[in-house]
Amino acid sequence: MPGQALRRGCLSIAGGLLLWEILTRLLLENELLIPPPTSVLRSLWKLTLSGELNRHLSATLFEFVCGFSTACIVGILLGYLMGRYRWFDDLMDPWIATLYSIPVIAFVPFIIIWFGIGLFSKIIVVFKITAVAIMLNTAAGIKTIDPVWLELSNSLRLSPWETTYKIRLPAALPYIITGMRLGVGRALLGVIVAELMAANAGLGYLLRDASETWDSPKLFVAVVLLAAMGVGSFILIRKGEQKLAPWRETAEW
Amino acid sequence: MKGALKLISILSGLVLWHLVATRVVNDSSLLVSPLVVIAKGYEMMFVTAELYPHLVASSWIFLYGMLIAALVGVPLGFLMALSPVTRDYVNPWMTALYTTPRIAFAPVLLLWLGIDIASKIAIVFLGCVFPILINSFYGMRVVSREFVEVGRSFRLSGVALFVKILLPASVPFILAGLRLAVGRGLTGVAIAEWFGATEGLGYLIFFAGQTFNIPILFVGVAVFALLGIFGFQVLKIIENLATPWRKEFETK
Repeated sequence: MPGQALRRGCLSIAGGLLLWEILTRLLLENELLIPPPTSVLRSLWKLTLSGELNRHLSATLFEFVCGFSTACIVGILLGYLMGRYRWFDDLMDPWIATLYSIPVIAFVPFIIIWFGIGLFSKIIVVFKITAVAIMLNTAAGIKTIDPVWLELSNSLRLSPWETTYKIRLPAALPYIITGMRLGVGRALLGVIVAELMAANAGLGYLLRDASETWDSPKLFVAVVLLAAMGVGSFILIRKGEQKLAPWRETAEW
Repeated sequence: MKGALKLISILSGLVLWHLVATRVVNDSSLLVSPLVVIAKGYEMMFVTAELYPHLVASSWIFLYGMLIAALVGVPLGFLMALSPVTRDYVNPWMTALYTTPRIAFAPVLLLWLGIDIASKIAIVFLGCVFPILINSFYGMRVVSREFVEVGRSFRLSGVALFVKILLPASVPFILAGLRLAVGRGLTGVAIAEWFGATEGLGYLIFFAGQTFNIPILFVGVAVFALLGIFGFQVLKIIENLATPWRKEFETK
C-alpha cells in the first residue's frame, strides 16, 4: 500500500472513532444503543483482567484451527482427486453443488442433533463451510496445469508420485491459497454460528451472552474482536498469497 | 456420459441415504428417509400449504435486502473506482466490515432496529452489499484503456463517457457481483430469521431443529438449496440478456 493511501486510511479510522466518541457522548444519555469507544475499551480491559476474554478467545481459536486444518487436508485431497480424475469430479459435483448452496446456518440444527454441542460439532460446522471452497479451487488448479510442465516431468522420467508433489501440487498452490483465503472468512462465520447455537465459551457465546444481558459495551467488544480476527487472518493469507504467487494480482479485499 | 454419471451419483446417494435411515439409524428423531422428506414436502406445499407464508416472508426480506444492497453498492463501488481519495478513506472501514463475520452484527442491528423486518433487511443488506460493491469497483477499474481512448477520440467526456463506455463495460462485473450476493443474501435471511422471527424459512428450520422435527428440517434446508440454485439461474439468464455481446463473442 502506498504511503498516502495508508495515511488516509489511518486518518479515516482515527476520525471515525473520534466522531463516534463525541457523538455518543453528546447525543445519547444511555450507552445501551451505541456505547462510545472508550467504554468499549474499558469493557475490553475488564474482560482481559478477569481472564474471561482469554477463555473465550482460546476456545474460539482452538475450534477455528481444528476445523480449518481438517478442511484444508480433506479439501486439498479431494480437490486433487477431482482435478485428476474426470469421473470423480462428475461423481462429486452434484453433492458439492447442493452442499454449497445450503446456508451453513440451516445446517447447524442437524449437526447439533447428530454430533451434540461439544467441540466435535463445531469442527464439523467449520469443516463444512470451508472445505468446499478449498476443494473447488484445488481442483481448478490441478486442471489448469500447463501441459508443458507435465511433458517436462515425462522427459525427466519422474515417477507419478514425484510428478504429483514436484509438479502438480506446486502448480496448484496459488489456487489452493485462494481457496483458503475464501475459506477463512467463512470458517470464522461457522465458528460463531456454532457457538451462538450452543456453547459455554467462545466469542460467539460472549456475543450471545452480552446481547441477552443488554450489555452493549461487552457486545461491541465481541464485535470488535471478531472484526480484528477477520482482518488479521485475511491479511495473513494475503501475505502468503503474495509470497507464493507474486505474479498474480491479488485481491484488494 | 457425463450427465449419466451425475445421475447415478445422485441416485445412489439417495438410495444409500434411504438404507442408512431405515436400516442403520432407524430413529426418526435423528434421520429420516428421503421418501419421508419428499412426502412431507408435498404435504406442506399442496395439502396444508403451510410452506407458503414462510416462503413469502423470506422472499420479501431477501428482495428488499438485495435491492437496497444494489442501490448502495453499485454507486459506491463506482465512486471508489473513480476517486482514489474516496477509496482510501472508505477502504479501512469496508475491510473491517467485510471481513467480520456478519452474524456478529446481528445482535447489534437487532438492538438498533428492533425485531421487525427492518433489522432483517439490514442483515441481508450487509451480506449482499460487499460482493456487489467490490465487483462494481473492479468492473469500473478494469475497463479497457482502448475503450476509453476510443471514447475520448470521439470527444466523449464526463457524463457521456460514463454512460456510453464505462457503465456498459462494467455491467458483466456487476451481474457477477449480484450472483455472488444471492448465496450470501440467503445466508443473511437464515441468520436474520433465526433471531426473533415468527415466520420465514429460517424460523421454520430453527423451530424444527428445536423440536427435533427432522422431516420439516430437511424440507426447510431443501427449499433453501433450491432457492439458491433458482436465484443463480435467474441471474445467469439476466446476464445473457443484458450483455448479448458477450455471448456473440463466445460463439465466435
